[in-house]
Amino acid sequence: MSDKQYTAALDLLRRLDPDQTRANVANLISLEPELAEDLLAAVDTPLTVQKDPHASHREFLCCDYNRDIDSYRSPWSNEYVPELTEEDAQESPFPSDPLRQLEVLCNDSFDVYRDLYYEGGISSVYLWDLEDSTDGDFAGVVLFKKTNVGGEWDSIHVVEVTAADESRAVYNYKVTTTVILQLRSEKQNGLALSGNLTRQLERDAPVAHAAGDSIDAVHVSHVANLGQLVEDVESQTRNLLDTVYFEKTKDVLQQVRLANAHTAETQLNKKQHQDVIRGLQNL
Amino acid sequence: MSDFERIIKDVIMGCPPGEVEEVYKDLINIVGENSKDTIIDAIEEYNIAHHLPVEVNGKQVILSEYNKQGSKFNEPFDKISFEVDHLTRQGFNIETIELPEVDEEIQNIHKNLGIYAEANFPGDVSFAVYKTSDEDKYAIYIVSTKYNPSNFWNGYWESAYIYDKQVQTLEGGIRVRVHYYEDGNVSFKAEKEVKLEDATDVVASLSAAEKAYESELDGLFDDLNEKQFKSLRRRLPITRSKVSWGKAIGNYRLGKDAAEGR
Repeated sequence: MSDKQYTAALDLLRRLDPDQTRANVANLISLEPELAEDLLAAVDTPLTVQKDPHASHREFLCCDYNRDIDSYRSPWSNEYVPELTEEDAQESPFPSDPLRQLEVLCNDSFDVYRDLYYEGGISSVYLWDLEDSTDGDFAGVVLFKKTNVGGEWDSIHVVEVTAADESRAVYNYKVTTTVILQLRSEKQNGLALSGNLTRQLERDAPVAHAAGDSIDAVHVSHVANLGQLVEDVESQTRNLLDTVYFEKTKDVLQQVRLANAHTAETQLNKKQHQDVIRGLQNL
Repeated sequence: MSDFERIIKDVIMGCPPGEVEEVYKDLINIVGENSKDTIIDAIEEYNIAHHLPVEVNGKQVILSEYNKQGSKFNEPFDKISFEVDHLTRQGFNIETIELPEVDEEIQNIHKNLGIYAEANFPGDVSFAVYKTSDEDKYAIYIVSTKYNPSNFWNGYWESAYIYDKQVQTLEGGIRVRVHYYEDGNVSFKAEKEVKLEDATDVVASLSAAEKAYESELDGLFDDLNEKQFKSLRRRLPITRSKVSWGKAIGNYRLGKDAAEGR
C-alpha cells in the first residue's frame, strides 16, 4: 500500500455515503487488501455493543481500542469477551494497575455524565499506558452510544494526557472527538440525515501534586479535567451537528429549489430585479 | 459483471452529485490507470441514472435512456447527436441528424416546464421532455444542482416522471441530495414517489405535487430534530447547569436514588 492509496481512500470515505461507511470500507479493502489495517484503525464506524458475563451482563461499547483478536475488553470486569484462550490472554493488552484504578474511576464518573446528558444509552472508557513517555502520561477513549426509534448517536473521544512540565503540576489534555449521528424518518422511507463531524480541543489544567497528595487525589484531578474537556467538546459538537444537519442542509436545499411557492407577483418582481441588475451590469 | 466491476459501480453509485471527478481521481490512485475504462463505464451509468446534464454547443442537455442511441445521445429540438465525455460531462463529435419535428404537445410541455423550472429552481437548472418507445408516453425531467466545493457542500434536486397523455397520468418521483463535508461527512437523502391522475395540465400538476412535497419536507425535518435529535443527547442536563466533576459527582447518583425512593 502506498501513501497515495491511503490518502485517496480517506478522501473517498469523506465523500461516499456516510450511512454506508462499513460497506464502503469493505469495498475499498476488496480493491486494495493492504489498506485493511490502516483503514480499520483510522475510520470511525458506529460502535457495537457486547454484554459482560462477569458483570451481570451489563452492556459495554466496542471499538478498535479495546479489541484484541476478535474479543473486546469490558470496562466493568477488565475481562475480554468472548473469553480468550489462556495463551492469547497472556499477550493481550491491559492497563497497568494504577491506570486501571483511574479507568474504573473514569467509568464511574462518565456513567453519571451519560445519565445526565443522554438519559439512557451506554458509556465506556478505556485507558492505555503510553510507551516511551513520562510516568503518569496516558491515553484513552471515552465512548457514548444512544439509540432511539430511527436515530443513533455514537460519540468517540480519543484523549491524550501528558505532563506539561517536570513538576507534573499541570497536564496537557488533548481530545479528538467524532460524533456519528444517523437519523431516519419514521414517516417517509428513504429519508435520512446521517454522517459524522470531527472536532479537536486541547487545554492545560492543574493536577493535585503536593507531596502529601495521594494517587487518589491525582486521579480525581484527571477525571475532573477530562470530564470538563469532554463535556465542553461534546456540547460544541452537538451545537455544530444541530447547525450543519438542520440549518445548513435546509440552506443548501433552498439553493437548488426555492422554499416558497412563487406567486405570479413575486416572479414579476424577480424579473424586474434581474432587469435592474442587468441594466447595472451593462453600464 | 466481475466482482471488481461490481465494487467500482457500487463506489461510483454512492458518490454525491458534483464530486464524481474527485471520486474518479481517488479510485485511479487506488486501482491504477488500467481500470480507467471500468470506472468511466460506471460513471456513464451514474450520469444517466441521475439524469445529469452535459454541455453541448453551450447548452445543457439532460442524459436519459430515452435520448441514448447506441453510444451517442441526441437532442430532439436542435436535431443533433453527440458523444459524451462522461467525466467532464462535455458533448463532442456533435452532428446534425435527421429527426422528425418535435410534436406540438411536447413543445407546449417543454415551454411551460421551462417557465416553471426557471421560477422555482435557483440552482443550475436543466429540464427536458423526451419521447419514449411508447408513443403515448413522454419522459419529463427537471434537474437542479448547486455545487460549492470551496465551501464543502453540494446540492441536487431531480424530478423524473413519465406522462401518459392517453390516460393523463403522471408517474415518477423526486430525489434530493445534500452533501456537506467540512470536518466531516454529512449527507441528506430523500426520495418521494409521485403518482398523479387527471393531469390535464401536466406542468401545473407536477408543480402542485412538488410544492406539496416541499412543505412535507419541512415537517419531516422538524420531526427529525424534535423527536429524534433532541432526545438523543440533551443540550444541558435537566439541572440546566454543567456537571460538577470531581469527588462530588457521586452526589448526582445519591440524589437520583433518593428521588426514586431507593
